[in-house]
Amino acid sequence: MIEGRFFDARTSAPHPAQVDIGADGVLRLVSAADMRQVALASVRISDRIADIPRRFEFEDGATFETAHNDAVDAALDAVGRGGFARRLVRWERLWTVALASLAAVVVISFLFVKFGVPALANVGAHVMPPSVDAKIGSEGLELLDRTMLRPSKLPEARQAEIRSRFEHMAESVNDGHEYRLEFRRGGKIGANAFALPSGIIVMTDELVKLAHHDEEIDAVLAHEVGHVRGRHALRILLQNAGVAALAVAVLGDVGSASSLAAAVPVILVQAKHSRDFEREADAYAREWLRAEGLPETAFDDMLCRLAKEDDDLTYLSTHPPVGERANCRK
Amino acid sequence: MNEASTAAAAPAATRTMPFEFRGTGAQYFRIWIVNLLLTILTLGIYSAWAKARRLRYLYGSTSIAGSAFEYHGQPLQILKGRLIAVGFFVIYAWTTQVWPLTILLFLPVLVFLVPLVILLSRRFQMRMTSWRSIRFGFHGNYTGALAAYVGWGIVAGITLYIMMPYWIYKRVRFLIDNTSVGTERLTFGTEPGRFFAIYFIALGLAIAAIFAIAATSGGGAVILGSGVGGASPAAAIGFVAILFVVLILLPLAIGAYWERSFTNAVFNGLMIGPHRVNCRIQMGRLLWLYVTNVLGILVTLGLFYPWALIRRLRYQLECMEVEVAGSLDEFAAAAAPEATATGEAIGEVFDLDFGL
Repeated sequence: MIEGRFFDARTSAPHPAQVDIGADGVLRLVSAADMRQVALASVRISDRIADIPRRFEFEDGATFETAHNDAVDAALDAVGRGGFARRLVRWERLWTVALASLAAVVVISFLFVKFGVPALANVGAHVMPPSVDAKIGSEGLELLDRTMLRPSKLPEARQAEIRSRFEHMAESVNDGHEYRLEFRRGGKIGANAFALPSGIIVMTDELVKLAHHDEEIDAVLAHEVGHVRGRHALRILLQNAGVAALAVAVLGDVGSASSLAAAVPVILVQAKHSRDFEREADAYAREWLRAEGLPETAFDDMLCRLAKEDDDLTYLSTHPPVGERANCRK
Repeated sequence: MNEASTAAAAPAATRTMPFEFRGTGAQYFRIWIVNLLLTILTLGIYSAWAKARRLRYLYGSTSIAGSAFEYHGQPLQILKGRLIAVGFFVIYAWTTQVWPLTILLFLPVLVFLVPLVILLSRRFQMRMTSWRSIRFGFHGNYTGALAAYVGWGIVAGITLYIMMPYWIYKRVRFLIDNTSVGTERLTFGTEPGRFFAIYFIALGLAIAAIFAIAATSGGGAVILGSGVGGASPAAAIGFVAILFVVLILLPLAIGAYWERSFTNAVFNGLMIGPHRVNCRIQMGRLLWLYVTNVLGILVTLGLFYPWALIRRLRYQLECMEVEVAGSLDEFAAAAAPEATATGEAIGEVFDLDFGL
């Protein structure tokens, strides 16, 4: 016998009632307002959640409500109705399951960010049609031109000189990318060079001036070519999108303050990926210098001078420490 | 039965009935995390079931006159709505990416689409809510939604947002006046003047806060500047304390002022048929909740969120009561919602969350 209240679905007046679920699969309801005897299968019984009231809905919309969840469960178990909902409510009740779920969510998210996202981004970057690639590259350059970069003041002759060296490099690499070298005045970002998707490489006037000889410029360009070959810019872009998608999936219904807190590990993992890409590009630069019979010290010297120029923390967070990347002469 | 007959004997008698909330953070956390794991393991598909379960828990934990609310949203309906929303977003993102100029086409469409989506979502949410088997309903039409969300928004825009509070008022009124519990309509009695007062006080506080933040960072620069030459550690600690108050407490306090005043203004003007709703959220208590919730969420990297949500809900419901005129046993069910037009059937798949 389960105690509860009956509502006839016409008015909100409650009627004290009792329900009995027989072994014969028949449900009997007794109240001053109504008496019913129906097949249990015709009654919709809400799944249990914690201890909120249980609701039996009859075919005509009338309902029976009860707070005696355990009695309902026992009665349903006796006639063999339970299923996944019964198991789910047991899991939600146990702290061990909750903590194990928490651990699983953290581990899965971590593995996904560490391995899944880079792998997916790598596949994505390589199947991306060249037209999209080129579009992202040119739009990226446009955006940088509007915000950070100014037109180059480097003499035409000097630009042509470096360009011809770069063309030679692009020819020797010959990996299907359409390489393009752009000169800009860096201003705030100072001596710098970077690779955009689709083979656009930007070098600042300040960096050209920082170089003591042209082999050092070659070394930097080879490093950027390493980024282009590995499609690093596009992969970083796709990885960020993947991590953002995961964050929405996990924290979709969580307030903004906590997503902020959750962003911290994400940023750390991203910085790690970015450092891995730097190492890959460094290795490529050295390989190219060796193949061309040029001294690797060109790369070391340039990197050490850049590090001295720029003692900013942002540089260090996305790049490995310079001591690890280059031999700096005193 | 007996309650109804005593009410009939003394129809003018009013008494107050509080809202009760029995949800706990510990329970909600366990429900949330188990369902989150299932969502991840099913690549997101289970999220619709998780949402229905969370909402059923929250509704079922809220009761008045001994009866809890019930959420009836079916996971498959929620899933369908989400797929449509995702589909629309993909189409939007792809076309504007490939043909950037189409954004000019999408914007006006969005302007007309947003009121429709709000209307359909609200209709879905109300229809999926019941109390003592009496379903809620929403009777707003598209013209009303367009006027409340777009029309008065344009008025607010061209008056340089002086009419902003009136826009807010119109939106709240549209949502409340068109809601019903069975055959009983909700009415909204708060005067628009209240919204003007709250809005401009909050705006004034926000402007004052911006000046305070600017002044503090100026002062901070002086202290840090002298720090190189050896400022006393006491000055540095004092500065950090002031920084905490100005940068964290001040914005939270303004947020609390806004939410307290707005929520009170909305619910205090609410009548459910003859029954009046009271809502008395207090500034100090709400601010304390804000501060402790934010700290909890930051310290636990977000894990405190379920507790924060439950504490916030519990406090609001603790502050709310219904002045019952007669009896709460006399709500009558409206005509069966099954007999609806196709337009409303489309509405069943929309369920976007938005506040009042």
